[in-house]
Amino acid sequence: MRTPRTTPETPEARFGRVFDHLEAVANYAARRGSDDPEGIAAETMAIAWRRLSSVPDREPRPWLFVTARNLLMAERRAAGRQTPLRPERADALAEPPVESSDPVVTAALMQLAPADREALTLIAWDDLTTAQAAATLGISPVAFRVRLHRARRRLARALADHRPTDRRPVAELESR
Amino acid sequence: MNELELIRQMKTSDVDLTLDPHALFTRIVAGPGDPGLEAPRRSRRRRPGMIAVAVALGVAVTAGTAFGFGILGWHTDNSILKSPREWRALYRTATHELTLPPGEHWPHRTLAPNTVTSRNEPGGMAVGISQVSWECYWVGRIRAHDVPGEKRAQAALADIVRHHIVVAPPGSPENVAPPASVKPPFEIYASDGGLQFDKRTYAQAAAGNPAGIAQSCRANGPVS
Repeated sequence: MRTPRTTPETPEARFGRVFDHLEAVANYAARRGSDDPEGIAAETMAIAWRRLSSVPDREPRPWLFVTARNLLMAERRAAGRQTPLRPERADALAEPPVESSDPVVTAALMQLAPADREALTLIAWDDLTTAQAAATLGISPVAFRVRLHRARRRLARALADHRPTDRRPVAELESR
Repeated sequence: MNELELIRQMKTSDVDLTLDPHALFTRIVAGPGDPGLEAPRRSRRRRPGMIAVAVALGVAVTAGTAFGFGILGWHTDNSILKSPREWRALYRTATHELTLPPGEHWPHRTLAPNTVTSRNEPGGMAVGISQVSWECYWVGRIRAHDVPGEKRAQAALADIVRHHIVVAPPGSPENVAPPASVKPPFEIYASDGGLQFDKRTYAQAAAGNPAGIAQSCRANGPVS
């Protein structure tokens, strides 16, 4: 029996599947407070092209988000160098912010440790599975699930702190 | 409602992309790709054609270089600059011929210890600093909707492109130097489309799309 002849895939075709996530990367950057989410997304894609062999073919988003996050940190470091820092600005620059449409949720998220915040938002905003989010953070899926569980509990507490009119006990929020 | 659902509902709306994804894709794949990925093997029948193209390209590059070196006055410059004091003097002289955006100052630069370079390098560095500073300034002015500031940046970069950037003939060596008629300071670009890319980026910024210069600013600046 003859083996059917297959045409080798060109790098452009492979990169095309990675490039389909351009908007997801721009959204990722925008929700982490980037001044130029499109620029971050474009640069992430340019890096992906130059290092295409290291981008996972089946699910490239974790790789792309890690690269975008590194660029975001570089952007924030550059912003810090460009502007003489006042002490309060220096604190703000130390951690990437998140932007939600509810100031209370934003404040509660910002009260969390960056690792907890990232665990929650990768699932809720970027629609990653726990395995993909674990890959993005460079930890095992088991460790990620533990981190996510703890992050949810801490967020419930933070939300209770920021919503004084919400008189439900914290335990009730945590139990869900 | 659990916490994840609450965060999900408070997700901000998606970014409305203003860049042209098709153009971006084309631009990216036009650049050098991953050397780790082997290009698909082509049929042997294409080899004679490819050899002909390679020969033609070689002739064109050689002829272009010969034309640039023979007729246009481009030449190799083997003079060496090794004194930091002389380097700084040339850099300082170059800064007097160039401009920076309002409120900015020329950063201190000098020749690294145990280093030699060409005499054109200090001026080229000053041109690069001026260029990146104006690019970063332009990004800020676009975001601040400061039209006069945008125009000022655009004019400054147009001046740099017109008077302080020269493109070496294809295939030029590292120590290439322009004709004596080119007044320093200048930055020498390779003949690889870099200047066209800059011009396109500036045209996009002039049309209100700062993504390209923002990327350049982030990659090359700040210069202080």
